[in-house]
Amino acid sequence: MNTVTLNGLGKSYGRTAALCGVDLALAPGITGLLGPNGAGKTTMLRVLATALAADTGSVRILGEDPTTTEGRVAVRRRLGYVPQETGFPRGFTAFAFVDYLAILKQWTDLPTRHQEVRRVIDLVGLTDVAPKRVSSLSGGQRRRVVLAQAMLGHPDLLILDEPTAGLDPAQRGRLRDVLGRAGETSTVVISTHQTEDVAALCERVVVLDGGRVLFDGTVTDMVGQAAGRVWMAAERDPVAQHAWRTGSGRFRHVGDPPRSAEIIEPALEDAYLLLVGDAARDTELEAAS
Amino acid sequence: MSRQSTPTWHLDEATLRAYVNGRPLTVVGASVEAHLVDCPDCRIRLGEVMPHEVVDRAWSAIRAHVETPRRSLPERLIHRLGISTETARLLVAVPAFRGAWLLGLFLVTLFAGLAALFTGKYGLVLFLIVAPLAPVAGVAASFGGDADPCHELVTVTPHPAARMLMLRTAGVLVTSLPITLLAGLALPGPAWLGVAWLTPAAAGVALTLLLTPLFGSTVTATTLGAFWSVGVVTAARVSDPVEAVEPAMQLIFTLLTLVAVTALVLRQPSFDHLGRQS
Repeated sequence: MNTVTLNGLGKSYGRTAALCGVDLALAPGITGLLGPNGAGKTTMLRVLATALAADTGSVRILGEDPTTTEGRVAVRRRLGYVPQETGFPRGFTAFAFVDYLAILKQWTDLPTRHQEVRRVIDLVGLTDVAPKRVSSLSGGQRRRVVLAQAMLGHPDLLILDEPTAGLDPAQRGRLRDVLGRAGETSTVVISTHQTEDVAALCERVVVLDGGRVLFDGTVTDMVGQAAGRVWMAAERDPVAQHAWRTGSGRFRHVGDPPRSAEIIEPALEDAYLLLVGDAARDTELEAAS
Repeated sequence: MSRQSTPTWHLDEATLRAYVNGRPLTVVGASVEAHLVDCPDCRIRLGEVMPHEVVDRAWSAIRAHVETPRRSLPERLIHRLGISTETARLLVAVPAFRGAWLLGLFLVTLFAGLAALFTGKYGLVLFLIVAPLAPVAGVAASFGGDADPCHELVTVTPHPAARMLMLRTAGVLVTSLPITLLAGLALPGPAWLGVAWLTPAAAGVALTLLLTPLFGSTVTATTLGAFWSVGVVTAARVSDPVEAVEPAMQLIFTLLTLVAVTALVLRQPSFDHLGRQS
């Protein structure tokens, strides 16, 4: 059953259109949102998190209509959100910050609230730094403090805007574990620039570019689209859309291969580069004609 | 740490249970303890017979003691006034309720009040500029994306935005009005002059609340402050600074306040989303 339905979603900032007629339906599980900077990912996540109202189109979240106050409050009670960036009130410890958000999320009973705050702090592996001021924590630890507050009360909808930014590999591994568990029952949407996170975590991937959906399907289908378009060669091939020197000293190419090319298995990153590259080429051709 | 050798004998369960319950004989107790230090197997078995609830409860209490943050001075003061710890926490999360801000506000209004009392016309100009702007600055430092460092996170919680708005505005008025009111009442001249700044203050606060989602609190408060300062200084140059708060102006500020408050009530749902400046 779909928990989120977007129909013809449009959102503009002045004359700049951030989203142009996005259709999307989400069910419980983890969906990865990929796209270049300025593609409209953050705007879409903000609409899903009820932080922004859509200009056009209809939005249905967890069976509620977020254009009404009652609908918004109902969604917010079941929502966990990690924005792309956030500050912290000065002087607050990690525990105080998560507790502050728990108060705002209307956990009124103090012992229950503190127990829940401790649970989410343990969940993200910050037990040792809970009494420390947020200002004294590392970037990765701060990111996990924000993740902790999103996990309060086992939310049915978890929206995460670049949650892996600034995390080291071990922290990312832990995050994947936490999100993987959440995705078993909840609808989780993750925006990221790390295709390997999407490949490791998500059943489904949505690629946004210029406020439109370029791709919506399974990770396997997206990787499949790049089959036959990734090759290795001893020298850099100028016909490739992208080419880079790998650790072995040979060049990996993405694009339309020459006839005798040594075709290799594509990765999600190759498929992403091709998808965005093809879209840019189509736009240029349209503009030229 | 290296262990010399594993003991060849082990404690029986009855002895372990007696030890956990604190009931062995003194001599036996000491030897049980000495054995436990040396024997990892018996330590594991001790863990098994140990009642977990007691350990968990103790650990929970220790964590609660260590983790529960010490409340800041403003938070304690707000709580002393009979406000719940939760509400106090919501207030102190923004700059307008921090010690440094409150001290600064106190000193500025005190200085303006003293200047008005002892330095004649120029003191009065300063007082008329500062008095209405103190609550405006307070509101700007407690509301919207500029003031609240985690505005986006706060916006998407089920906590009513209108309650937060009223709570913080009320807090600002309580902290910024009393000193200025006292200073105003001590001013030489007609009695109404001491409270005449209240209408421009009300208009300033209402306009700041109304316009912050559109332009951000810093731009809004700075622009309003600049207009007001220029108005008072111009009135002083042309004739008398009191002209800025004369009866006709009182009427204009009252009307402005009413219009802004009505618009605020009508636009209330817009506070439930991020402003354009976020």
